[in-house]
Formats: sequence, structure tokens, C-alpha cells
Amino acid sequence: MLLWQELKTLLRHLVMITLAIMMVVPFLWMVGTSFKPHSEVERPALLPEQAQPENYAIVLRRAPDPYTQRFLDLDFPKWYFNSLFVAAWVTALQVLTSCMAAYAFSRIEWRWRDKLFFLYLSTMMIPGLVLMLPNYQIMVKLGLVNTYLGLILPAAFSAFGTFLMRQFMLGIPKSYDEAAEIDGANHLQIFLDVILPLARPGMITLTIFTFMGNFQSFFWPLVMVKDDHLRTIPIGLLSFQSQYGQQTELIMAATVMNIVPLIILFVTMQKQLVAGIQLGGVKG
Amino acid sequence: MSTPLRDQKNFRVAWLFLLPNFLGFLIFGLVPLLLSLAGSFTTWSLRPAVPLQFVGFTNYIELFRDRNFYFYLYNTAYLMLGLPVAIAGALTLAVLLNQRLNFKQPRYRPGLALAAAVVGVGSAAMLWVSGAPSLAYILLALGVLSTLGFLFGSVSYRTFFYLPHFTAGAATILLWTQLYNPNFGLINQTLRQVYDFFGVTWEVPGWLTSTKSLLGFLPLPAHFNNGGFGLGAREAIMLMGVWGAIGGNTMLLYLAGLSNIPPDLYEAADIDGASSWQRFWHITFPQLAPTTFFVTIMGVIGGLQGGFEQARLMTQGGPAGTTTTISYYIYTQGFERLDLGYGAAVAWVLFVMILVLTLANWKFGSRRMSD
Repeated sequence: MLLWQELKTLLRHLVMITLAIMMVVPFLWMVGTSFKPHSEVERPALLPEQAQPENYAIVLRRAPDPYTQRFLDLDFPKWYFNSLFVAAWVTALQVLTSCMAAYAFSRIEWRWRDKLFFLYLSTMMIPGLVLMLPNYQIMVKLGLVNTYLGLILPAAFSAFGTFLMRQFMLGIPKSYDEAAEIDGANHLQIFLDVILPLARPGMITLTIFTFMGNFQSFFWPLVMVKDDHLRTIPIGLLSFQSQYGQQTELIMAATVMNIVPLIILFVTMQKQLVAGIQLGGVKG
Repeated sequence: MSTPLRDQKNFRVAWLFLLPNFLGFLIFGLVPLLLSLAGSFTTWSLRPAVPLQFVGFTNYIELFRDRNFYFYLYNTAYLMLGLPVAIAGALTLAVLLNQRLNFKQPRYRPGLALAAAVVGVGSAAMLWVSGAPSLAYILLALGVLSTLGFLFGSVSYRTFFYLPHFTAGAATILLWTQLYNPNFGLINQTLRQVYDFFGVTWEVPGWLTSTKSLLGFLPLPAHFNNGGFGLGAREAIMLMGVWGAIGGNTMLLYLAGLSNIPPDLYEAADIDGASSWQRFWHITFPQLAPTTFFVTIMGVIGGLQGGFEQARLMTQGGPAGTTTTISYYIYTQGFERLDLGYGAAVAWVLFVMILVLTLANWKFGSRRMSD
């Protein structure tokens, strides 16, 4: 009887392992292909016979393309920097503005507060598509098209972030503020010294969400960026495909360099992330 | 404590905290929203030669006469057929993950992990030496997966299931574009080997190059460019979507829902002698109904706006427009035909559809909650 139960558990593991390998196979193919020489790409084998790790050097412009004897026209390292740079600024600004707004919506009593918050909430269901065309026009008028600021600024404010941080802050007992107030602290001090440290789990969740969302964002950079030196990775990959679409091995080397850091980030931060998703239950 | 003076002070302080966010909300949220509504009634264009004129409902009338609009709406709806598959799959994965995965005998866990590691690495090394690197690669991956699985149980499986969702974006779309290559892509290579094995001479699907669809047997209008029954570009996009969504947030929400089901419900069912199938349909599934409702509505709202990245990166909306969705149509109207007014009208029609769904969600969703 006990043995039967243990066998059942083992069987469950085997089912899970089968499912997991099915999810992972595309990634295995991606890594294998990124090491293939061009002549082997069309073969069914997952791994190359003659590995060519130079593919990575070619994409990073450390080595010339062996077929054309020229360096690629695309600046992958710069795209990488751009993606990190833009995502870092967006995340820092969005977490800051969201926390400040959430403080006003959760810790201070004032007239129209809940009405205004409801207005905020209702903007969360406006599709980004509706806003995209006029936002582009606004950026044209502000002269921010094709600039870093144009990529960063519209993403620096978020109703979702405000909502998430407010939910976290509502869970902090009011007595903390009152104690600080009796000690003579003003709102700025309460915000910085009492609420922010207590809201840290929420801030970490929002930081990862925002960073990931922006690092992978495609829509807005696509309309905002015109020059190669401003491209972020997703937009860069698009031009990579249109210029070197036949060179699967190079595209795969580029995608590996895009995806592997994300996998590492997820594996290290997954505890906070899963808790955040299950708590918020919102972000798609 | 509430005195008029204090109220006024609070009001000022609150607005200082709110101001940065509120300015952004105004400039990049409220103003563009009103601009796009106003713009949809004009000849708003990115072409300098076109004067800005108020044209009333012209854009909307044109839209309702636009045969392509209905075609693209059909494509959008068709792609959403992957949603029930993804949700059912996510529920299955969550239920599987929620099963007991630790052995009664505590020594089995490290023992099996060690065995999996040794067998995996060992057989991989042997195959590598004997000249079968691809098989060695797969076995090595299997070894690593099962070692981690035995050691960390559901956490490690959850991680593997979630990876496709977490990495979703331009890179995974390009990856799948290569997998779908009709000649040398992994999928058709595998299919050919399977066909050879069974000795059948079927044609492999054309995937992203094909206008076929699973509903291709229906008598669709001619301008829907129906290529007949089969697996085509839309199925390819759907399949990729299911791969990305099945272990994603839906699964995590189901897992949270499962852990909230009171255990005494199952205990009562056990006393009544219910089978595990009955336990699922009479306890688990009804208890998860609010989650199912939520993820369905969110999925439909997302699906109505979906398909843009796939169309832009994989197919340019083709072949013959079969992967053009509403979102890609708005983009091409705005940034390729430069007709922002018409694009805004399409966007607003989409918005109204989403609004109706959201309101229905609130109405029926809250009724469900109070049941």
C-alpha cells in the first residue's frame, strides 16, 4: 500500500517532467541553433556538428560575418544598453510617482479622494491602442519623438502602479502614522521613514513588473524610435530580422542574449513575483 | 480631529504627493483619450497636405461599410479561440502542481534526484561520445529537469511552466518564426519524421505561409481569403499563444485559488466515497468559478487588443491579411496610411466593445461573488 503511494508520487513527477520538457524544447532549439554554422541551420539535428560560438561575437560586433567578411550594420550592444537604460529610468520614476500618489490615496484624508481614485481605476481599462495615436501627436508637439525622453516619459506614470501600491499601503496599520505624528513627524517624514520601508514588498513587486514590462515593450518604442542608436532590443530584433532574416543562427544568438538574463531574473526573484501576481491578480 | 483648517492642510499636502503622477495621468492619459475621441470625427492625418476638418460620423460610417474591418474582426475573434484551450490547460497544470509531490519516505527525494542526475549526465555523455549529440542534449536537459524536480518539487515545475510567459516578447516571437519555418523549422522537421515513421505521405502544414484555418470548411465571404481547412498562419499564432499562456499568470491565479479551497470540503467528499473525477467537478471546479470568470474576462479583453506583435514581427499581417487583427489594423491605418482619424475611429469602436465587456464583468462578476 505504501509502495503503491510512492509509485503514484513518482508517476506524478514523471508527468510533470514530461510537461516541463515540452515547455522547454523551443529554448533548447534556440540555444542549439545559436551555435550552428550557417551551413547547418537547415539540418534537423538540435546541436551543430561543428560548433561556431563566434555567432555571439558576430552579433556583438566583435567579429566580422564569415560570409560577407563585414561587421554587422546593427548595433546590438547599444540596443542592450538602451533597453536597460530606458527600463531603469521608467522603473525608478514609475515606482516613485506611484508610491507618492498611493500615499495620497491611502494615508491622507481629503475631499474627493475616493472619487478621483475611481477615475484613476477606470483609466486602467482604456486600451493602450486608443491612446497611442494621440500620444504620438503629443510627442511630436513636444519635440520628443526619437529621443530617450520620449521613450521614458509616457511610461513613467501608471494607474496600475498606483493601484498596486495603494493596496499594499492600505494593509499598513494606521497606528504607525499616528505614532509618528505624535512624535512630530510631518507627512514627508512619515512617507519616507514609516510607510516606504513597510511597503517594500509591494515596491519590489512593482519594480520587477515595471522593469520587465518596459524591457520587453514593443508598441511604443516602435513608433517613437527612428534611428538605430536609439533602438531597444525588441525594436532592434525587428530590424535584425528584416536585414539578416536568412541568418537564423545570428538571430538565435541575439534572442539567447535577450532571453537568458530574463530567465536568471525570474529564477532569482520568483518568490516575490508569484506572490505579487497572486495578490494583485491583475496585470496580464 | 477633523477641523476645516486641518482639512485644508491635508488637501494641499495630498495634492503635493499626487501632483507628479496626476500630471502624467493628465498629459498621457486623459488628454489623449479626449483627443482621440475628437480626432475620430475629423480628417486628422499625419500628412501635412490634408487639412484638419470636422467630418461628423464619416469615419464611423466608412468603418461600418469597410469589408476589411469585419474580416479583421473575424481574425481577432478567431485567434481568441485559443483562450479556452489555454485556460483549460492552465487549470490542468495548476491541479497537477497542487497534487502531493513529496514522498512518504524522506530518503527517496535526494535518492531519486541523485539517480536522475547520474543517469541523465551519464547517458548524455555516452551518447555524446558515440556520436549522437542531439539525443545527448535532450537527455542532459531531461536529467537537469528531473533532478531539480525531485529536489524542489512543485516550485521547480512551476518555474519551468512559467518561463514561456515570463520571456514572452519580440525574442520568443522570432524564435517561433524559425520553429514554424515550413522547410527546416523544428516543427515540420519533427512532423516529417513522425509521418515517415508511420509511413504516411501527408503534406506538412504551411504554418505562417498558409491561409488555411481550422474553420476553413465554413462558407466564409470571399474577401476573407479563406484557404480551406487545415493548419495555417492563424493556428501557428494561436499555438504559440497557448504555449506562452498555459503556464502563465492564469496558472498562478488558479494555484492561489486552489490553496483557498477549504480542506473540509474534500474530507466530506472522501467520507461520501467520491471519486477524484467527482471531487474535481463537484468541488474544485465550482470553487474556482470566480477565478475562471476573472481570467476569461481578462483574456477576452486582452484578446480583443491582441495580435499586434505577432502580426508585425511574424507575418506583416499576412498571408492575404489572415493574421491582421484589429490592433494591427489601427497601427497600419495610423502609421502606414497616416490616417489618424480613421485609426482613432477603429480604436474607439474597439474601446466600446471592451467597455461593454468590463461592465458585464462588474455586473455578473459581483453577482457571482455574492452567491
